[in-house]
Amino acid sequence: MAASESSARISGWRQFKAILHKDIVMELRTKEMLTSMGLYALLVLVVYYIALSQAGQNFQVRQIAAGLLWLVFIFTSLLGLNRSLVHEKDQGCLDALLISPIDRPVIFFGKAVGNLIFLVIVEVFIVPLFYFIFLGGQSQAETGGPIWMITLALLVGSLGIAGVGTLLATMSVNTNGKDFILAVLFIPIMFPLLLTVVAATSAVLLADPGYATVFWKMMAAASGYDAIMLLAAYGLYEFVLGA
Amino acid sequence: MKQLKIAIALVLLGGVLTTAAFFMAFYTAEVQTFGTVTLDKTVDTAFGIAPQELQPPQGQGVAYERPWFSQKIFYFHVPVAEASFLVLIIAAVFSVIFLIKRRAADDTKARVAMETALIFVILTMITGVLWTRASWGVWWEWEPRLTTYFIMMLMMIAYFVLRNSIEEDERRGVYAAVFAVLAAVNAPISFLITRIIPSNHPVVFKSGMASSNLLPFIIGQLGMLALGYGIYVARMSEERLRERVELAKEALEG
Amino acid sequence: MADTLTTDCALEVRDLSRTFGAHKALDKVTFDLPRGAFLSIFGPNGAGKSTLLKVLSTLTTPSKGTARVLGLDVVAESVALREQIGFISHNPLLYPDLSAEENLEFFAEIYCLENPKERIRELLVAVELDHRRLDLVRTFSRGMLQRLSIARALLHSPQIIFLDEPYSGLDPHAMDILDSLIAQIRAQHTFVMVSHDLAKGLELCSHALILAKGAVVLFDERDNIDADEFAATYRATVGMGVS
Repeated sequence: MAASESSARISGWRQFKAILHKDIVMELRTKEMLTSMGLYALLVLVVYYIALSQAGQNFQVRQIAAGLLWLVFIFTSLLGLNRSLVHEKDQGCLDALLISPIDRPVIFFGKAVGNLIFLVIVEVFIVPLFYFIFLGGQSQAETGGPIWMITLALLVGSLGIAGVGTLLATMSVNTNGKDFILAVLFIPIMFPLLLTVVAATSAVLLADPGYATVFWKMMAAASGYDAIMLLAAYGLYEFVLGA
Repeated sequence: MKQLKIAIALVLLGGVLTTAAFFMAFYTAEVQTFGTVTLDKTVDTAFGIAPQELQPPQGQGVAYERPWFSQKIFYFHVPVAEASFLVLIIAAVFSVIFLIKRRAADDTKARVAMETALIFVILTMITGVLWTRASWGVWWEWEPRLTTYFIMMLMMIAYFVLRNSIEEDERRGVYAAVFAVLAAVNAPISFLITRIIPSNHPVVFKSGMASSNLLPFIIGQLGMLALGYGIYVARMSEERLRERVELAKEALEG
Repeated sequence: MADTLTTDCALEVRDLSRTFGAHKALDKVTFDLPRGAFLSIFGPNGAGKSTLLKVLSTLTTPSKGTARVLGLDVVAESVALREQIGFISHNPLLYPDLSAEENLEFFAEIYCLENPKERIRELLVAVELDHRRLDLVRTFSRGMLQRLSIARALLHSPQIIFLDEPYSGLDPHAMDILDSLIAQIRAQHTFVMVSHDLAKGLELCSHALILAKGAVVLFDERDNIDADEFAATYRATVGMGVS
């Protein structure tokens, strides 16, 4: 009786909020993840400029803009995911969590939602910058679909990145090669999601006739990927933590 | 030792069968017109060995029959691709069993199956590239099947990279199994999604087969499966020997 | 259920084995430990000490056999058990970028404590860190970290405390503080300590256990043990060490 009574006190929601709150407080204090991700994103933009510098006047960056944009996010998210889990690993804090009466999925959701928030913050900062640097001066600048469509594509993509990424990063921080291992595991697994969100974002940016159909088809595929892979990640997380 | 004998026998059988299928493809199978493709430019008939009557008319941009070589490699490519799928599924199944039962033996089985599958996937990639060259006149095409195979190969390489970066035995097994399951779920999604994304590339892939060519195909398929199982058994018996050596070493130390 | 928590045995370990392939981390370990006892576990590296501690603290599961801690099965009743476990390791298990108070607040939320403020204040005073409660843990010395880590372990008033090499890396002064803290809480708790330090371990314990190659070499009450004989037995296992 005593055991079950005291268990009733435990609230997964309260634990989830605690993990999220802790991650945000730590990040606001050190600004470690946001500065490293943000700075890295800026550097990638410079590399893009170099890559496109000889493309010539007739080359429309807009044609490949969606791909370039997602490329920034995929690489910055690798950096952020790794950092986020290193925090748990470094002083053995993850063990302290595992030894406490917390359901393993709560840890997964806490970390994944935190990662999603940081990724979205970086996106909010990079997307307008990217637009002004690479698309602002172009003749096509006036065209393009509504912004909420791009926002939706960014959200669905980030959701998959944060969820599956949290699982893979939890594994990679326990290996010898940390960030390298994360990239090797992460990019092939992310491949279908990236393909769809790039297609969706591109459809909106180009706004060719009938782009909405393509967009919704791609969003459906991306959401399907998110649903299946997040479910798999959620199911497998307990095994990873137990090892 | 018995297992090793079985393995050698299976590898030999597989070798004989696939070779037989390959020769049959050249001598007994009839040359068919599978699908036809309309291309705007002259097709560079791959390897220059297609018989004259099968060469497309020069520079006319009309319907063109699939050249000779691509038909021959079919008897090798498709069996090896199907075998790779089968071994991969076996690897995933062993991974799931390992996650549930946590027996080291299942981890070894999953790993060895994955090794065998990787060999087959690489063979599929090589023959696939030859096929694209022969059939479509390009070495590489981001076509759904090829793309999926490429991603699958990367995931399988990642599986071994992951394994090599973990020292603790059980953790290595669990992480590898988790990744294998994730990859197995991911592969079909990859394939579906590469098929539905908007693309500028012409779809040039049509399959079909007459029953008269079924015999060499089936022989090739059986040979490939025997080969796959043979490699698996051989590697497993090697692993078992190594485990016995480890045990003996430990006993000596104690 | 009511009497499970009032059982006289703190630990009931029966034929506990943990194997992976040919490697036997634990080999049919069997012993009983009464409540209020202090068990020291000795053994060379790779003898299975950490594995035993991990099984008892629900971080990993046994392959065969059973273990009951405070009458609760480590597999079937792990969630209820986790509420009763405190864990002190040589790793502080604290977040360096949070203050002492924030760390304790975080873990109080994870354990879903009622009135966490009072409890935290009380513990901070007890470990003499009240004056540093707003400072980041990053700035703490090794000894202060260990004291805070004890406060973290006691936060939810556990009945059993696991100590994993708590003295490693401590200077003599910090050791004294740790000693006096353990002495203070000694009466109300059961302790299980893994240690390399034979003298220290014997001094503190009421029961001693020597493991070698995963199996129990010796288990007895402290009063029945002759220190020299014990040391000789221990030394004999060192050569058998790593498997």
